Amino acid sequence: MTDNTLEMQQEEKQFSLVKDAFDRLVANKLALLGMLLVVFLFFIAIFGPYITPYDFLSQDLHSRNQAPSFAHWMGTDDLGRDILSRVIYGARTAVIVAFSTTFLSLIIGIFMGSLGGYFGGKIDAFIVWLIDITMSVPSLLLVIVINVSMKPRLVNWMDEQFLITGNEFYRNTILVDFVLVFGSLALIKWPKAARIIRGQIMSVRNKNYVVAAEAIGVPTPKIVWKYVIPNSIGPIIVYISAALGEAMVFESSFSFLGVGVRPPIPSWGNMISDGLRVWQLYPHILAAPAAVLALVTIAFSFLGDGLNDALNPRQWK
Amino acid sequence: MTRLLEVNNLHTRFKVRNGYLYAVNGVSFTLDKGEMLGVVGESGCGKSVSMMSLIKLLPPAAQITDGEVLLDGIDLSNASTGEINAIRGSKVGMIFQDPMTSLNPFMKIGAQLVEGIIYHKRLKRSEAMKQAAKYLDLVGISNSEHRLNEYPHQLSGGMRQRVMIAMALLSEPELVIADEPTTALDVTIQAQIVELVKELREKLNMSIIWITHDLSLLAGMVDRIMVMYGGSVVEEAPIDEIYKSPRHPYTIGLLKSIPSIHTEAGSRLPSIAGAPPNLFVEPTSCPFAARCGYCTERCRKEIPSLKPVTGEGANPHHRIACWVDVTQREAAE
Repeated sequence: MTDNTLEMQQEEKQFSLVKDAFDRLVANKLALLGMLLVVFLFFIAIFGPYITPYDFLSQDLHSRNQAPSFAHWMGTDDLGRDILSRVIYGARTAVIVAFSTTFLSLIIGIFMGSLGGYFGGKIDAFIVWLIDITMSVPSLLLVIVINVSMKPRLVNWMDEQFLITGNEFYRNTILVDFVLVFGSLALIKWPKAARIIRGQIMSVRNKNYVVAAEAIGVPTPKIVWKYVIPNSIGPIIVYISAALGEAMVFESSFSFLGVGVRPPIPSWGNMISDGLRVWQLYPHILAAPAAVLALVTIAFSFLGDGLNDALNPRQWK
Repeated sequence: MTRLLEVNNLHTRFKVRNGYLYAVNGVSFTLDKGEMLGVVGESGCGKSVSMMSLIKLLPPAAQITDGEVLLDGIDLSNASTGEINAIRGSKVGMIFQDPMTSLNPFMKIGAQLVEGIIYHKRLKRSEAMKQAAKYLDLVGISNSEHRLNEYPHQLSGGMRQRVMIAMALLSEPELVIADEPTTALDVTIQAQIVELVKELREKLNMSIIWITHDLSLLAGMVDRIMVMYGGSVVEEAPIDEIYKSPRHPYTIGLLKSIPSIHTEAGSRLPSIAGAPPNLFVEPTSCPFAARCGYCTERCRKEIPSLKPVTGEGANPHHRIACWVDVTQREAAE
């Protein structure tokens, strides 16, 4: 019996690093609220198509611009489409965009940041220069320029490919929208990730355990991957949570401006843009997606703050 | 005994904002197989940097500007990064000063121990783990198989230092460099670690370089002592010789400042007046000249080289870098 309990205690102790952080996160009420909302959002995004009361595209021209009712919880829009269903589908768009751009920006950021942070010198100077240049361009402008200049070419190319190959894949213009939105967002977001990672790696790379690993001849890529990055992960997790929320706001802004995801694919941004035209007559069309976007943004920032406190050893009490 | 290591005229400097910091200025020494060498000196005298320079384990700002390091006849000073990496993983082991921060908190002990040998000896993971368990047993960690699956925070300081020693020994190196391995530990653990290293040395017949600033620790442990000051070797002698008849004024001062059983209670310990040398300028004189009681005109102008001592009953292995013969001066006074 004693053997078993000892084993179990040790098993528990091994996860104490993660568990401690989680306990601290849950103890923070706002962070817990944020986390629950975010989990709910992910749930909705994944299972959206199965739980929406109506199809997000089905139009019912007899019941246009209806105020919220039991049949339509958030009312209907100017084509008689159920707003709740569209908001739920919009969550899907937002989550897909948020995850892919954050993931992409993180990959570029980790690569560039660890390169600069670990090797220093001229490589570092070049990467910092690249970061500064990218950050100095207004992000909204850069994304619009990329979208406006690249999109017609990409669409043309796809058309040509369709004519050559006859592959149906190339007729999917929604894909172009997504690829451009992901790509351009990742392109403006990587410097932030790279900066955080570079700073982390610079501080971790002089730690004794890195020198100790060098002393037993562990090759450099392995040192970066197994010693340096795990020890720099706290701020990266915080970055991820902030970046996810930020990406959703970005995606909405671009869709609002008409450069992002195009109708009929619902995005909160283009729904807000639609609602804005008629808000004096039918405020619910604007209010529903705007309120959801606001709620999600707040949820992510609560979660981010909570994570920051939970993972930062200096904040521990 | 056969020669394992030969270092000739090693120079290492650090690039700093307005020039260079000359950390190691012409260090030469040799080490035989199975020999244990103690390197002593105050903080910043270049003892760690010079030994780290052997396997190029230096921060990016450091440059090895001159010198030759022959390990088993292989010249390490011209070795590429890959070759040095292979040497670090097979022929040379390092034990570090601070066991509390020298292990990656995110990796299990076992995974960290075998990282080097998996890569350099092309062992399978399971075999490497068996090897690691064997060495944990050897350094006196009980229940070693179980310990392999634990994280560093589950071990005490003394145990972590034992793990660090096992890590250094795992590749079965011929040379182990121990950089103040007991400084961060309390005295009882320090005694245990010293005993352990002595024992392992006999078992495995390794050569050891033990870096420390604690002269008394080395008595009864090492074969030979090398005293460093201001980036160069000032005195080198077999262990008994150095305690019995130190010849360099710095060594004499160092030995005088160790409290002994005969020290009168309440009296002040003698100390060496002045401050360590400014290493931002390339030395052109004896580095100790400014603090030396025996300083002559020549000491301020020329750098003395390491030469065997002369005089009656001189040990041929006793070498000092000094223009003055301290024994004659004392006799004259």
